[in-house]
Amino acid sequence: MSVFVIIYYTLLLGASCLAAYFNKRSAFLLIFSLTLVSFILGIVGGPGALRSVAIAAGLLALAAMVSYAFREFLIVIASTNMAKELRTAPLTAAFGMFVIFTYAIAGIFAPVIAPFGEAEIISSAFAPADETMLLGADQLGRDMFSRIIYGARNTVALALAGTVLAFLLGALAGLLAAVNGGWFDQLIARTSDVIMSIPSLIFALLMLSIFGGELANDTTSFWLLTGFMMVTGLLVVTAVFENNIIGWAIGLAALVGVSVAFAGFMLIIFNPSEIILVLVVAVIYSPRVFRLTRAVAGNVVVMDYIEAAKLRGEKTWYLIRREILPNSTAPLVAEFGLEFCFVFLLIAGLSFLGLGIQPPTADWGSMVRENATLVSFGEITPLIPAAAIALLTVAVNFVVDWMLYRSSGLKV
Amino acid sequence: MIKKKDVLLKIRDLKIQGYSDETWVDIIKGIDLTLHRGEVMGLIGESGAGKSTIGAACMGYARDGTRIVDSSIEFDGMELTTATEADRRMLRGSRIAYVAQSAAASFNPAHKIIDQHTEAPLQYRLKKRMEAQEDAMELYEKLRLPNPQEIGFRYPHQVSGGQLQRAMTAMAMSCRPDLIIFDEPTTALDVTTQIEVLSAIRDIVDEFNTAAIYITHDLAVVAQMADTIKVLLKGEEVEEASTREMLENPKEDYTKSLWAVRGFKSPQRHRPTDGTPPLISVKNVDASYTGGEKVLDDVSFDIYPGMTVAVVGESGSGKSTTARVITGLLPPSKGEVLFKGEPFPPDYRNRTKDQLRQCQMIYQMADTALNPKVRISEIIGRPAAFYSGLKGVALKNRIDELLDLIELEPAQYYNRYPAELSGGQKQRIGIARALAAEPTFIVCDEVTSALDQLVAEGILRLLDRLQNELNLAYMFITHDLATVRSIADEVVVMQHGKVVEQGPKDEMFTPPHHPYTDLLLSSVPEMDPDWLTTLLEERGVDNVGDAASAKIDPKDAKVT
Amino acid sequence: MGDILGLVAKRLGLGLIILLVISVIIFFMVELLPGDIAEAVLGQGATPENLAALRKEMGLDQPAIVRYLDWLSGAVMLDFGNSIVTGTSVSQTISERFANTLFLATYAAAIAVPISIVLGIIVALLRNSIFDRVANVATLTSISSPEFFLGYILILYLAVKTSMFPAIASLSSDMDFGDLLYRTFLPALTLVLVVTAHMMRMTRAAIINLLASPYIEMARLKGTPPWKVIVKHALPNAWAPIINVVALNLAYLITGVVLVEVVFVYPGIGQALVDAVSKRDFPVVQACCLIFAATFILLNLAADVGAILTNPRLRHPK
Repeated sequence: MSVFVIIYYTLLLGASCLAAYFNKRSAFLLIFSLTLVSFILGIVGGPGALRSVAIAAGLLALAAMVSYAFREFLIVIASTNMAKELRTAPLTAAFGMFVIFTYAIAGIFAPVIAPFGEAEIISSAFAPADETMLLGADQLGRDMFSRIIYGARNTVALALAGTVLAFLLGALAGLLAAVNGGWFDQLIARTSDVIMSIPSLIFALLMLSIFGGELANDTTSFWLLTGFMMVTGLLVVTAVFENNIIGWAIGLAALVGVSVAFAGFMLIIFNPSEIILVLVVAVIYSPRVFRLTRAVAGNVVVMDYIEAAKLRGEKTWYLIRREILPNSTAPLVAEFGLEFCFVFLLIAGLSFLGLGIQPPTADWGSMVRENATLVSFGEITPLIPAAAIALLTVAVNFVVDWMLYRSSGLKV
Repeated sequence: MIKKKDVLLKIRDLKIQGYSDETWVDIIKGIDLTLHRGEVMGLIGESGAGKSTIGAACMGYARDGTRIVDSSIEFDGMELTTATEADRRMLRGSRIAYVAQSAAASFNPAHKIIDQHTEAPLQYRLKKRMEAQEDAMELYEKLRLPNPQEIGFRYPHQVSGGQLQRAMTAMAMSCRPDLIIFDEPTTALDVTTQIEVLSAIRDIVDEFNTAAIYITHDLAVVAQMADTIKVLLKGEEVEEASTREMLENPKEDYTKSLWAVRGFKSPQRHRPTDGTPPLISVKNVDASYTGGEKVLDDVSFDIYPGMTVAVVGESGSGKSTTARVITGLLPPSKGEVLFKGEPFPPDYRNRTKDQLRQCQMIYQMADTALNPKVRISEIIGRPAAFYSGLKGVALKNRIDELLDLIELEPAQYYNRYPAELSGGQKQRIGIARALAAEPTFIVCDEVTSALDQLVAEGILRLLDRLQNELNLAYMFITHDLATVRSIADEVVVMQHGKVVEQGPKDEMFTPPHHPYTDLLLSSVPEMDPDWLTTLLEERGVDNVGDAASAKIDPKDAKVT
Repeated sequence: MGDILGLVAKRLGLGLIILLVISVIIFFMVELLPGDIAEAVLGQGATPENLAALRKEMGLDQPAIVRYLDWLSGAVMLDFGNSIVTGTSVSQTISERFANTLFLATYAAAIAVPISIVLGIIVALLRNSIFDRVANVATLTSISSPEFFLGYILILYLAVKTSMFPAIASLSSDMDFGDLLYRTFLPALTLVLVVTAHMMRMTRAAIINLLASPYIEMARLKGTPPWKVIVKHALPNAWAPIINVVALNLAYLITGVVLVEVVFVYPGIGQALVDAVSKRDFPVVQACCLIFAATFILLNLAADVGAILTNPRLRHPK
């Protein structure tokens, strides 16, 4: 019996007795079941296992404290209304917000934070960690830490772009379908049924096998992106101008201009293969967004105030903008977070398979793949980018969970 | 006929809290209740008064998200708040039974009705299965269910709502309990069906001398059922007295306001004789929803300028569908709607802005009729800006004028959101929105049925005043005959998508009636404790409700 | 009963139509490529004569619609043509791999389905307790982790550091069943972790939804003991949602299996697909995609049919 084990059990038992004494039922149940589990763990895994439990508990406590402090910080700086909302946030949601905040900082200021460039080779392959390289070097001798920081920028930006495009198309189509109904609704619903009956990863692989090779050039990606934006914009033009022919002409002209400008702008930020990836993701996820938006907007459209507005002769675009959107913001924002998680995991998975973001761009999925051999030597370095992926997804999910709870709780 | 016997249920200082926004809030704030054996007590109050919560508490049951705090609930000498859960459970079903509001949702869809009926007697080993089933059939017969031998072997979704409600009453009786809690058992039913259920419940409670707590918001119903009445308001008791005393001599102002028989009566107007064409003319309209059966069958009636036509009927009679046809939401499959003698385009999308402006709508549920995320000024201002192109100061003045018109202080309400208003105020905003378009015709769809008596009367007075000032024509859709009496000039009675009878109000309320009108008129409960008894004596127990409705001869002389 | 058969037949027909549309998508997407497969096979240095010869051999001189019908009728007979890269029959290459994948998915499902349904029901009954909250955080974390993260963690701790299980799931024909289970334990466990979390959450939601129905409250108010409320009143109505949860998650397994196979170098169809995509071996890609899509549709179909068959309103029509 080492001193550590004795202290470990003393603390646990003491805490459970205190919890029982002060009638904190749930705390008692938690601590006492942990004690019982520890007995078994201690017998099977020895003090080592107990030590990892203690470390995990310490980390959890640390995370809880950080989350608590961060929530208080947000409450102080937020407006009164926001602060009232924030007070209801559980610690998990506060933790999520903290993580998202940290990633945003890391992504935006990546060149400032990272000590080296993302493609800079500074030492030998798989060099171990030292003072200059916090996490050692990767398979080509690039600094792992810098690449992880840059990954926050590249991977997240790409996933964000994919989600935004999927959302633009899916949400617009969903809102229009809810307002108009009829054959338009049916057509889009059936199309999305078909797309959704191919598993997303499989569909992505299929599309990448076709657009991933020589088609991933500047011209093709430019026109594909312009086309995607035209389709999306066409929905807006339909909603805004309805049967007004002159309006259509003006709208179409403006639409072409905006689409071309947007595609050009995207080409400056991303390289062609990344744009193809964004488009693939947008095509796969827009049906899911459509389905949800259609459902959310469908609940609003049956309200009498929508009928009153329709009977007044209001145009579709007014209905969407002034009547439906303000009443479906909360579920749509939550859904945006959820879709972001899916998109992010899909892109990470594709990169891990070597079919997503291409080297030398630093990206978490491909970093795991490139350094996977280290795992067989018992190193945890290749797991760090994977953990970075998991952490962000968990964080977003925590926040979404809270928001969904809030928006469903308000109905009761 | 108060039966003074020994006390069955004694509740002292009942406090119930509900969990909302992370804190416990008081829902019930200290209620005392004493119920004797065989006594029927009516609990009455508006929605949110906590009636239903009290009902569940009588069984020692707190719904999810509520808790009972330091109160005393004593049932037949047993303290329920301190008893073990197992002991409390032993009472439920055997000595205290429960009849829920929605029978369709409260029967398990996976089991036959009779199996759910016999569950409690078998559980408490009171009867063998065969005995329990025979007893069930006997109870079905007593409750005048059709095919008592066979109906129990159906699944809940195979039986109609009114029958299911009686089957649930039978189920509550299965162990011959001492106390039954009736939680709004007829609220979801039509008036004609309601009578059958009411008479069946009353007879069986009398026969077995069961004590009952009858929860409802309908005064006339409770007057038929209860020996004593307790009035609740926002979780607190207002007063309690025997039914007759309460009806004849209420003490508290709140009770008086509830009891006040609708004093308002608008003088009846008559059709113009100078050959003015009707404002709205519905001509031989058939309509159906996509792919469904015909909902409207050859409906015709006229509405003249400045007059109120009340369209009366039960759910499914097609009265709301008629409104949808007039407003253009549902183009008719046959026939047409004329506006001042000119055909109105059948689809609202094809109507001009001016045509849309002429015909406005006020809805039943003010909650869903006003966009919760938009300020009052915009709700009322939008139609004014949309139709008349008002802007800036002119628009502001118009909104103030409209708020004045509906008797709300402009400065105070201008910037509010709908959630910050009471139900009656919201309904007034709905009226103002319709007026903002400067229409000549307004469809009022059950505008008062979600409101309390007093508030509803205020709305009716307002509508009548506006009608006189602005020469508006109303189509008043309602199932409430008291409303019809107070505001209508002409009445249209609908059943199964057909107009069964129409004419001026004074004629419609004097016999002879079309048999359906007669049934409808006679089925509306009145605030007289003897009403049901008298009615059943006059008509006979087998000549009310669905049974009577089925007997109507289509070739009757009064059928138009 | 006629009603039910009609509904089921309708649903089957719909599934078939969707599958047909998907086969069209899969086939004609490859047609979008600039040039054709022959050019892709022969690469930059191909002479026009070689190209023409290969086109003739592959039937590329036929119009697209004829080739589609050929391909489709072949696919129905499980003949997907020959691989561009190796020249061998596609069906031969992938049939054994498909069997391996099915084995892995079944293995994972056999563990995950019972565990997650039981756990899901337990947390639903203990809802809002501390266990429910811990389970909520744990399942959310598990769902949010990419499959390869879980896979590598398991390799690191259960294979490399403690050598309890093999890190690489190599299969050979002379292994007995126990050995097979042992060698494929880690990939199966990875799948179990992800799918269990999903299934638990969905089961919990379905059960809580069910327990809120008025007829459950009615059963409680009739004095029915808690166990009987669950067994007699909740369970008969829970089949539809549970079948739905299971089918949806088995469908989810299909996607997860691709990444897991790559992590554990497991000789399944997922890895074949990934290889084919990077080598641009289109006949293999098409075949794998069609098989995955068909399985996915089949499972969704099973869920819907299950829901129809267990619905009392449909089983006992008016």
